[in-house]
Amino acid sequence: MLTEDPQNHESKRHESKRAEGAGNPAGARRRPWLYEGLVALGALLFVFPLVLILITAFKPDSEIVHFQGLLPRATTLANFRAILGSPEEIPIARWFGNSLFISSAATLLVLTVDSLAAYAFARLDLPGKKWVFGAVVATMMVPGQILLVPVYLILNRLGWLDTPTALIVPAGAGAFGVFLLHQFFVSLPKELEEAAAIDGCSRWGIFWHILLPLSKPALATLGIFTFIGSWNDFLGPMVYLDSVDKYTLPVGIALFQTSYYAEYGLTLAASVLCTLPVIVAFLLFQRHIIQGIALSGLKE
Amino acid sequence: MSEGARMHTLHKTSLILLLMASALLTTSFTGCGSGGRRVVTVRFWNGFTGPDGRTMLRLVKRFNQENPDVDVLMQRMDWATYYNKLFVAGLGGRAPEVFVLQTLAIPRFAKSGFVRGVDDLCAQPDGIDVHDIDANIWQGVAVAGKHYGAPLDIWPMGMYYNRRLFREAGIVDARGEPKPPTDRAEFLEALRKLTRPASGGKPDQWGFVFTNFESNVYSFMLQFGGEFFTPDDTRCIMNGPRNVAALQFCVDLIRKYKVAPPPENYDAWIGFRQGKIGMVFEGIYMLADLQKQQDLDFGGAPVPDVGGRRAVWAGSHNLCLRSDLQGPELRASWRFIKFLSDNSLDWAAGGQIPVRKSLRETPRFKGMAVQSAFAREIPYVVYLPRLPFIFEYQTEFNNAVEKALRGSATPQEALDTATANINKIMARERNAGSGGER
Amino acid sequence: MTRSRSLRRWSGYLYALPYLTLFGLFVVLPLLYGLRLSLFRWEMLSQLPPRFAGLGNYAEAVRDPYFWRSLVATFQFVALAVPLTVCLALLLAVGLKSLHGRRQAFYRAAYFTPTILTISVAGILWRWFYNSEFGLFNAYLGRFGIKVPWLTDTHWAMLSIVLMTLWWTVGGPMVVLLAGLQNIPPQYHEAAVLDGATGWKSFRYITLPLLRPVLLFVVVINVIGAFQVFGQTFMITRGGPEMSTRSLVQYIYETAFNNYRMGYAAALSWLLFLVIAVFSLAQFRLMKER
Repeated sequence: MLTEDPQNHESKRHESKRAEGAGNPAGARRRPWLYEGLVALGALLFVFPLVLILITAFKPDSEIVHFQGLLPRATTLANFRAILGSPEEIPIARWFGNSLFISSAATLLVLTVDSLAAYAFARLDLPGKKWVFGAVVATMMVPGQILLVPVYLILNRLGWLDTPTALIVPAGAGAFGVFLLHQFFVSLPKELEEAAAIDGCSRWGIFWHILLPLSKPALATLGIFTFIGSWNDFLGPMVYLDSVDKYTLPVGIALFQTSYYAEYGLTLAASVLCTLPVIVAFLLFQRHIIQGIALSGLKE
Repeated sequence: MSEGARMHTLHKTSLILLLMASALLTTSFTGCGSGGRRVVTVRFWNGFTGPDGRTMLRLVKRFNQENPDVDVLMQRMDWATYYNKLFVAGLGGRAPEVFVLQTLAIPRFAKSGFVRGVDDLCAQPDGIDVHDIDANIWQGVAVAGKHYGAPLDIWPMGMYYNRRLFREAGIVDARGEPKPPTDRAEFLEALRKLTRPASGGKPDQWGFVFTNFESNVYSFMLQFGGEFFTPDDTRCIMNGPRNVAALQFCVDLIRKYKVAPPPENYDAWIGFRQGKIGMVFEGIYMLADLQKQQDLDFGGAPVPDVGGRRAVWAGSHNLCLRSDLQGPELRASWRFIKFLSDNSLDWAAGGQIPVRKSLRETPRFKGMAVQSAFAREIPYVVYLPRLPFIFEYQTEFNNAVEKALRGSATPQEALDTATANINKIMARERNAGSGGER
Repeated sequence: MTRSRSLRRWSGYLYALPYLTLFGLFVVLPLLYGLRLSLFRWEMLSQLPPRFAGLGNYAEAVRDPYFWRSLVATFQFVALAVPLTVCLALLLAVGLKSLHGRRQAFYRAAYFTPTILTISVAGILWRWFYNSEFGLFNAYLGRFGIKVPWLTDTHWAMLSIVLMTLWWTVGGPMVVLLAGLQNIPPQYHEAAVLDGATGWKSFRYITLPLLRPVLLFVVVINVIGAFQVFGQTFMITRGGPEMSTRSLVQYIYETAFNNYRMGYAAALSWLLFLVIAVFSLAQFRLMKER
């Protein structure tokens, strides 16, 4: 019921399946149920921890410390109530709002700035273009943490520390988006643009009316990437923000870990609240995200 | 572009706009903002995450209510990043008015001119009576004769013991109440009685476990009479024979007497919470965590004197002022500090011990059994060495202790390495001109 | 070239200007700032200004056992994590390739879900899994009398981190490799079948070579990422036990933010960059030539 029927009579399908089987180390066509079974088992193992976070968040702390089984013996909403119920001490709604605002703003910035730059590098005749673009791409190799200290000092000089600006504006400097969009633009057929140019369309016109509309998948993908990356960013907000009410969710959750021990129940409950929106967004835009990653790998 | 795709795009665009709108709404809606009256704003930074932070927030709220002309804004962050951000904020002119420094950090911040002295403020009529504070604690905030903070609390390391295990092992006094050990002989005997291998469905049980290497071993070393620096503070002598003997004693507890589990495979504190350990030495700040474990019958007592001298590790939170405070800000900040000091009993309820002797005499404090027990150690608490480069010192010390306890090095070797490294650091600091001495 | 044409060419940079401004301010400037800083001794807690030290910081790093220790730990991580991740990703991609449509999308999403978790959440979760006393793994293994020192033994700790990393990061490479596999036109395999090559032979001589560009990309990106490991080790073991899992990035972070030695931290950062650059280039050469 789960597997392909190897005796399918449609010849084309049969052929390509044989070809698939040939491409696989042991020929999936021979024991497809085994392969799917393993894949399914693996998928279960992968998703299981997430389900576990959810279940465990409903356990009281003493039960978490004293492991008594996967399911809670005494289901309790205490952890969630503690988190949601004291906004002065745990401004989780504030943190959520901050994360939302910062991630959205960073995404908009990246999309705007990167698409313009990618257009320039992909389609315009710029002097020294190869060198500049090459340098930009080369910096993808630079570990972000190298920049941590100097960027901190620069942000200090600019007076942006402890403001959302510190997390939004520097996000626009990443090379990944420019690279991704560049690859995408380059792969589009030039005929449309050439025709438009002959008709007297300006460079901006080509960009705005032709290239951008065709690039919605790539833009959507870059947008999702940037959003999720910004949402999950821990080091940046931890170092550049001081005020508790300016924290983003990941850093706020870390407040439940003191230097000496972790309040597991609260942390897990907060993690559930933090992760749920991302999972929802992910499921909605799943196709695009995965397409996007594939794009980035293929147009190398 | 197809109609469907355009609709899809519109849909997504509006979704994004909706997201942004809700973000803005949420941020502004939950945004805090006091009224626009002429109030003095006092920013108060500390490292109190977890339940401590919540206790302190309540105190801050009370102060703000009782003092409408002052608005105290509390910010807290993880201790690990706290100190750095504090100092860099100072460099950028963004330092808070009031901030907490643990005693170990006072030397380096005081030396860099970051902190304002408090002697003049204490001497005023609305000051804090310094005689109400134990002499050794007050000395903790002194650098070159001047005092740089108002101690808020003292957190000595004390002994938590599992009363049920004590009763089962027969370590009781005449009335059948568990009797915590007070000296080496009693300690070793209790350890032997409390240690049992796993059997018949019951988990293994240990007399003791090292939960916090730094505080545990430092205390043992002090009790053995060990010294850490030469009297003129120019050289580290941590690898002296008494320290080695103390560390060897710790190692013996694990390897020779086998009354403590090897740290390589044990989550010490959790083990105690699970009821598998007889005694642990930990700070009073762990009390809140223990109280959450409702099925644990525990008690608190002073640490036994194992080496011949009564001494125990401790730390304190001190309330400090930025060095350039003036006028109304200074007065408001000091009022806040005095408020916290006077109300440190409320702070104590969260698992701390107030430094104000008068407050410790109150029935309310005496009713706090564990805090009172630990408070008996105050006369002989010892802080960490007073060093500007305290974090690097801690790294070296902890490394050495970890290696020795895990059996990767002998105590002598481990301490030799640490001492050599610390002397190197001192030389580096001297060359840099910032003073290698304390 | 006429003047107006030259002007027009340069004016194209206006499009890239917003990006290049940000790039210059937040990438190039910090890089240069860091380079310059690495030539100074600046202990932030003394009241002294920074002093020029030439290559002094670099010399100190070479003599610093903690630097080498963290470099070794980082290398261990890279050596373990990258091959395991890429192989697992390839295996999964191959497994998924034989599925279609909805089912494939479902499993694809399942394997990718851990990747969207933030490190604090993933870190807390696995710290709980690995806890010696009440962690999930030991709770079940305990029934067989096994107690694994996941995070408390110097040899196990890095392995535990790698295992967690596998779970957390295999989704990305898997998807790229899957797309790569799906991009190989079936004619190649059909031709191979006609020639009598099936299964492993076909995979080795047809699939792998055609997959090489994508594979190269995946490996290089993973290596670069692995050298920068920080979140996992910092959150799960804090670099312990006995600093066996303290990555170089964590050491840099602590040097800067705990010990306040900014110049030295900058020098360490540049050394890390050098190591990554050398490795990336070497990989490119190696894999491209074959």
